[in-house]
Amino acid sequence: MKQIVPLAQALDDTIFGSKAVGLGQAIRDGLPVPPGVALSGAMVEAVAAGEKPAIKEAAKWVKPLGGPLAVRSSAMDEDGAAASFAGQHLTLLNVPSANELGPALSKIWWSANSDSAITYRQRVGLFTRPSVGVVVQVLLDPQTAGVMFTQNPVTGDDERVIEASWGLGEAVVAGIVIPDHYRINRSGQLLEQSPGFKKIAVRRLPHGGTVEENVAPELVERLCLNDEELQKLNALADRCDHIYGPARDIEWAIANGVLYLLQCRAITQAGPQAGQ
Amino acid sequence: MPQRGAPIEVLQSVPLFADLSKHEIRQIGRLFKERHFAAGETVIQEGSGGAAFYVIESGEATVSIHGKMNTTLKPGDYFGEIAMIDEGTRMATITACGELVCFGLTYWDFRPLVESNGVIGWKLLQRMAKMLRAAEQQ
Repeated sequence: MKQIVPLAQALDDTIFGSKAVGLGQAIRDGLPVPPGVALSGAMVEAVAAGEKPAIKEAAKWVKPLGGPLAVRSSAMDEDGAAASFAGQHLTLLNVPSANELGPALSKIWWSANSDSAITYRQRVGLFTRPSVGVVVQVLLDPQTAGVMFTQNPVTGDDERVIEASWGLGEAVVAGIVIPDHYRINRSGQLLEQSPGFKKIAVRRLPHGGTVEENVAPELVERLCLNDEELQKLNALADRCDHIYGPARDIEWAIANGVLYLLQCRAITQAGPQAGQ
Repeated sequence: MPQRGAPIEVLQSVPLFADLSKHEIRQIGRLFKERHFAAGETVIQEGSGGAAFYVIESGEATVSIHGKMNTTLKPGDYFGEIAMIDEGTRMATITACGELVCFGLTYWDFRPLVESNGVIGWKLLQRMAKMLRAAEQQ
């Protein structure tokens, strides 16, 4: 059995984790996902253990991607708890190249064995050996990024809710900024748009890692998505709805005018109509 | 890149392993994985759960209990063995002073070894009893 595969061939979430399999499905369905590979939990552990053949194999697969890289944990779905574990496990953005992959995988493996992750496991009654897969992708340098819910997560209404900010999406996901907020209906008609307060943009650094950069004053309260981009996002939501079903939580980025899907998962908690 | 397991000479200085033969220490050593911490990073947190035991390879770390700094750990020192064995909570907070490199052994790797090797299990049990007696006599 292969322990590293191109993302499109990641089929089994007990081997590669939910994120890898979700992105693999997205690629197979023709969605715009940045290229990457999926590493199994066993491969990540072997690299963390310093096993030379595993280190060599992982580097061989990742090298063609070039760099910089986004190295993201892909939690195994243990009793449906993958989404919760996802928050416990590390993601490393802007790993410069395959040469720095080993230490990155080691950090991610240990994050699943960290005291906070173990405390969480004990609390939810899953005190079992953690296994964490990894997705390695080319790291984009987006102008704009954020999240989109294909159904309103608060009211459950059948509309798209989009939150966007400048730079990498981590500014939105980590709550570093007040993002722009948009609501559009399924036809793409704008229902609401309110500019956020985006003083910070997370950007990649030339030699690895990221930095929280000050945004130019004139951009702080300027809307970061135009109508054409909103229509592209709505079209992406349509396709995700069609492929995965309703109520999806999507991470996206726009780099050089191209919209990319970074993650698509079920909304964990939504309004009254969710899951009905 | 991390190397495979922990060197025998590092583990030989750990009192918990004092009764083990070289071969037995080598068996345990293969199960350790290297872990790096940045300056100021919390290695283990008092009151939290934990499933790993650590031996310091290089660097220093402070120990604090109930927010009070207690002592400083140096290369060769170890910590975290109690929570790894009894599945209880951490009894102290350990924080990296500068860049810290440890070898870590997880519960998931340690327990099967002890369960399958009664000789190692008995020696560790005996050593822990001796350490407990010594602590009580202090």
